[in-house]
Amino acid sequence: MTDRLRITGGQVHDPANGIDGEVRDICVENGRVVARLPAGAPTLDARGMVVMPGGVDIHSHFASSSCNHARRLIPEEHAADPAARPALLDGEGVPRSGSGGTVPSTFTTGYRYAGLGYTTVFDAAVAPVMARHSHAEMDDTPCVDAGFFALLGNDEYLLRQIDAGERDRARDYVAWLIGATGAYAVKIVNPGGVEAWKAGQRNLNDIDQPLQGRRATARAVLETLADAVNGLALPHATHIHCNNLGQPGNSTTTLATMQALAGRRAHFTHLQFHCYGGSDGTGWGSAATRVMEYVNAHAETSTDVGQVMFGPAATITADGPVEFLLWQSSGRKWVNIDIELETGCGIVPYSYKEKAAVSALQWGVGLELFLLSNDPWRVVLSTDHPNGGSFLSYPRLIQLLMDRSARDDALKRVNQRLLAGSALLDGLAREYTLNEIAIVTRAGPARLLGLPHKGHLGPGADADVTIYARNSDLAQMFASPHYVLKAGCVVVDDGHLRRAPKGRRLHVRPGYDDAVIADIRRYFAECSTIQFENYPVRDIPGDPR
Amino acid sequence: MSAGKRIGAVVCLGCGCTCDDIMVEITGDRIGDAERACALGRRWFGDGRLPARILVRGADATLEVATARIAALLEAGPALVYLAPGLSTEAQRAVIGLADGLGARLDSATADGPAPSILAAQRRGRATATLAELRRRADLVVFWGVDPAERYPRYRERYIRPDATIIAVDIGSMLGPADAGERISVPPGSEAAALGVMRAAVLGRTIPDLDAGLARAAELAGRMAHAHYVAIVHDAEPQAVADPQRAEGLIGLAQALNIPTRCALSSLRGGGNRSGADAAMTWQTGFPFAVDFGLGVPRYRPEESLSEVCSAASVVLVAGELAGVSAALSAAFSGRAVSVIGPRASDAGPRVEVAIDTGMPGINEGGTAYRLDDVPLPLTPILAHPRAVAAVIDAVAARLAARTVAR
Repeated sequence: MTDRLRITGGQVHDPANGIDGEVRDICVENGRVVARLPAGAPTLDARGMVVMPGGVDIHSHFASSSCNHARRLIPEEHAADPAARPALLDGEGVPRSGSGGTVPSTFTTGYRYAGLGYTTVFDAAVAPVMARHSHAEMDDTPCVDAGFFALLGNDEYLLRQIDAGERDRARDYVAWLIGATGAYAVKIVNPGGVEAWKAGQRNLNDIDQPLQGRRATARAVLETLADAVNGLALPHATHIHCNNLGQPGNSTTTLATMQALAGRRAHFTHLQFHCYGGSDGTGWGSAATRVMEYVNAHAETSTDVGQVMFGPAATITADGPVEFLLWQSSGRKWVNIDIELETGCGIVPYSYKEKAAVSALQWGVGLELFLLSNDPWRVVLSTDHPNGGSFLSYPRLIQLLMDRSARDDALKRVNQRLLAGSALLDGLAREYTLNEIAIVTRAGPARLLGLPHKGHLGPGADADVTIYARNSDLAQMFASPHYVLKAGCVVVDDGHLRRAPKGRRLHVRPGYDDAVIADIRRYFAECSTIQFENYPVRDIPGDPR
Repeated sequence: MSAGKRIGAVVCLGCGCTCDDIMVEITGDRIGDAERACALGRRWFGDGRLPARILVRGADATLEVATARIAALLEAGPALVYLAPGLSTEAQRAVIGLADGLGARLDSATADGPAPSILAAQRRGRATATLAELRRRADLVVFWGVDPAERYPRYRERYIRPDATIIAVDIGSMLGPADAGERISVPPGSEAAALGVMRAAVLGRTIPDLDAGLARAAELAGRMAHAHYVAIVHDAEPQAVADPQRAEGLIGLAQALNIPTRCALSSLRGGGNRSGADAAMTWQTGFPFAVDFGLGVPRYRPEESLSEVCSAASVVLVAGELAGVSAALSAAFSGRAVSVIGPRASDAGPRVEVAIDTGMPGINEGGTAYRLDDVPLPLTPILAHPRAVAAVIDAVAARLAARTVAR
């Protein structure tokens, strides 16, 4: 651990502090950024390089039981991408081998995120009953601070409170569950639709369709959880995967969902997968313009794009019904797991191809969202790793955003059949600046996550710093930072991983009315196969925020 | 522990059901009772007292001497590191790390039992559910060649709806529950054919000229397709030799049933946190068992039998309960320098080079264990023991690191 370090001479992009390419020093002491250091402090020469805060991944699937089921499903990918132990410096952690592919093993995941300049990562979908598993995986994922979002949009206890009109009890349950599992935020996946799949109703097709035999609708789930999250003042908004993911014409559902929550803080995730026009009978098209008009006009709304990148992917989601459809249409391997009256899990290995019309549409819609966004602070970068592509594809995505000619060349290569009506064909000329890249990859996600010590380089910030050597090949530049600091520790030095410290766990423990506990205990006695006492995760590392 | 102390919500690792509702009564320094535990569970808890010896070639030794001896043996290699049942997942993670550092061959009890199920799932995927889902939703439960009463005694009581229709499919001598509402019999040689016919029936394909047995199977498939939610239960660790195509046939049938209705395949697993070994190996290496670190990276070798693996190793480290190692594998250890770190290791006596007794997860050690449906549960130490597996493994790793530095 380097206690003090002065990063000198770099061109700093720290948009949260209004710094856009200014050459200045960044001072680090005891893991934090400080205003100044005494003369003679050790230095790191960053002259000619680009200095940014460490990357913050707001939406990834990297440390969950569902990821592990996906790992188990694709041994052929792991065999094709063995990962040797990194050459760590003596005494800087026990290096571990592993395997890569779209869902790498845990140690390899940590090393590769750090090698990319990312230092904070959230797993976006963890079944609460599997929280203990996610914490264990995160324990074995070095180099990154990590947290997860707890799946609640199809939870039986929550649905019962909605049926009964018990909004306050629902809020207290949310608070208890988040604290008991060591989660950071609330995730909704296909609200009500996963329960419909499990109960034999197959799915919910619009937000006002009730679950069979119940009062609960997707709208009620969305409103109840958004109000609970905002009432509890959780640092991150409700993280929403809308109904009808991947379906032609689903932009209608997406806009209805956004309108249902108008005026409420809400984050709509992997928006690309929810921005399609057309219908089953009339084919697919892009509805990115219409959806982004709404997002641009509503400051309470945020999103991550969920860009599709051509190449292999692993679709992993709690949205069981959508994976059933993908299995049916693709004929590939398929895993479905109905999980403990809480949620579901579906997995289908997949590949996005330039010459496939739907893949090309999805790729184009993602780019449209980025290029039509008026506010990069609210429209941030993700590939929904590994659903739209691996996190290792972020550098190629950054190149597409920053370099119009590279983008136009790529556009010429893809299947054009479903691109009619895409704003891309109108010649969107926008090129992201380095500062905008810094916003969509670190400052913006950190702000949306409510992480005041992340995503910037002002005094008091965690000393998570990424330093890139300039390169006319932008994809290469962003793929291999020259230096990466994690909490002041130089983990990547001269482009090589040299240290692998444990990251911190990011979790919250909101308060609640204890009266809810007796009711939850009754529910456990009736419905759970686990004793109430055995449900909470013990010994979560680090203090809750 | 004080006399007469009662501890609730204790997790039992007697079988993969991993019941967590056991009330344990501690009397003096031992377990006096384990309420709600089945006969298997009561045997697993016993009185909770475990030996605490350290033996090198049958003679008492210090931990320092024993771990140094293990380190020297492992360093000489080539080594097989074997995850036997009876470890917490925290201990399993430490053992996997040791094997990685050594460049050893790593395997687990999974290679001895459920490997065909796992390999079939790697080819096709699977449709399954955790146990609360089965208990709430499954109105039709088909026990495929297994009666859980003997090896998974509380499975039906805890995880199957009392009003569910129970159907037994008897495969030769592998019988379903005696009290099933109805049963069909499938000759062992016809099992794959029956599963194929059933899948075809579910998919609406008519196969002409079926014999009476297969026609009965097709009829059953039709009933399954009209149930609300079907559970198919099979033993992933059958006592008798099962048709090698069974696992893939069951997976295909369960997946196909999700087209007309909903269906989950529930795979029964033995005790001692076997599913936890699969989970930890998968997240640390990418593979659930049969990992060779010999080239410095994990390579998947499921095609190798454990006897082949043993023949290539001159040193074996067993972590976990030696009693959980199959007789065939124990025989394959012959002629190798075997060390054992785990509960009751000293029972092996002078047969092994080194034996270090540790506590039992869930009795003396905390941590995590995975239920047969991959749900992780917390373990509570209820009696003291001087040594934990992970700490001993860490001590061996430290010895190895020190030897490396010394060179």
